[in-house]
Amino acid sequence: MADAIAIPQTQLDRQLLRALRLLPGLLLLATVGYAGKLLEQNAGAFAKANHWAAPNIEYVLWAIVIGLVVSNTTGVPDVCRAGVATYEFWLKAGIVLLGARYVLGDVLRLGGVSLVLVAAELAVAITFMTFLGRAFGLRPKLTSLLAVGSAVCGVSAIIAAKGAIEADDEDSSLAIAAILALGAVALFTFPVIGHALHLSDQAYGLWSGLAVDNTAEAIAAGALYSDAAGKFAVLAKTTRNAMIGFVVLAYAIYWTRQGQAKAVGDKAAFLWQKFPKFVLGFLLISVLATWHFFSKEQLTSLGNLSRWAFLLTFAGVGLQTNFGVMRKQGLRPFAVGAIGEVVIGVLTLVGVMAAERWIGF
Amino acid sequence: MSGTEKTAGIEKRRGLSLDAWAVVAALLAALLIRAGVVPRVPW
Repeated sequence: MADAIAIPQTQLDRQLLRALRLLPGLLLLATVGYAGKLLEQNAGAFAKANHWAAPNIEYVLWAIVIGLVVSNTTGVPDVCRAGVATYEFWLKAGIVLLGARYVLGDVLRLGGVSLVLVAAELAVAITFMTFLGRAFGLRPKLTSLLAVGSAVCGVSAIIAAKGAIEADDEDSSLAIAAILALGAVALFTFPVIGHALHLSDQAYGLWSGLAVDNTAEAIAAGALYSDAAGKFAVLAKTTRNAMIGFVVLAYAIYWTRQGQAKAVGDKAAFLWQKFPKFVLGFLLISVLATWHFFSKEQLTSLGNLSRWAFLLTFAGVGLQTNFGVMRKQGLRPFAVGAIGEVVIGVLTLVGVMAAERWIGF
Repeated sequence: MSGTEKTAGIEKRRGLSLDAWAVVAALLAALLIRAGVVPRVPW
């Protein structure tokens, strides 16, 4: 009897301890994110009061920059690492909640445009990255991981593909480092290019959702341009994320045929397991919003809650980016990724501009 | 990889994935707002 009571207590203790371990990192995420929000509110007012001509810098950029400074100077304390790593959770919860700001008709219309552009992006990215990897003499599985990461959705896709194609840890960490480094570069270059080309919010948002690989960086790059652009980036990136299962399955079948990976038994189960569930949550909230399940005030609250979740996400993006660690991973995978990203970035930009002109979304 | 078992490319997890937890948490928050338990979320 005593043993029967002791077991759940131990499990509870373990779960409580696990939750407690997250607290310092969560506190750091909240502090960095909120500091970014305060800076957005006060830096502009301070510049205005002193008659300085300074652009209004959004909390997105402040949170990322403060996070980058912490990560690359003092470093993230070990006690905070587990909590900081939860930024992926906040990202996905934020995307689901953001569904409240879309009417289903818009999702279907823009999702349709995104789907066509995503299909073209997938074909170009996989073909070109495979060619580049071979030209630079990268190991074949590292090339596959880079192609999956560039074509679909960055780190999540690489982790999903790693298990399916039985790539080794070194290849996956090289591919992840390259994708994260390029995502950090995109954060600062994409808004500049967008403004230089006077892109509309829709065109820019779709472009960053199509061309920036990691989901957090893609959405941050969109939000850095404007709130509306951030919404379009979420839509394009979510459409791209939905393809993860198909691309990883195709690679798994390819490597099985090469005799270098286990065969996939139940393909439907495989697809379901790899499918990002937050896409379904996003669609569900969008359907509920379209059916007026929420009042106008409640929709505003859901949008605000999504912004709080993204605030933690963007702080995490900065805190997780350490250039010193990335530098140690070697130059060749980064060079392949960089060349690939430039080509994919240019082609998707042309595609989006053409779609805007001819389809007029 | 505690808590996971890999067979033929499919990992069998005991609990929910991070993805699914994020969906559950977001839907729960949406329901609390809908029910008026959380009347207003400021920004």
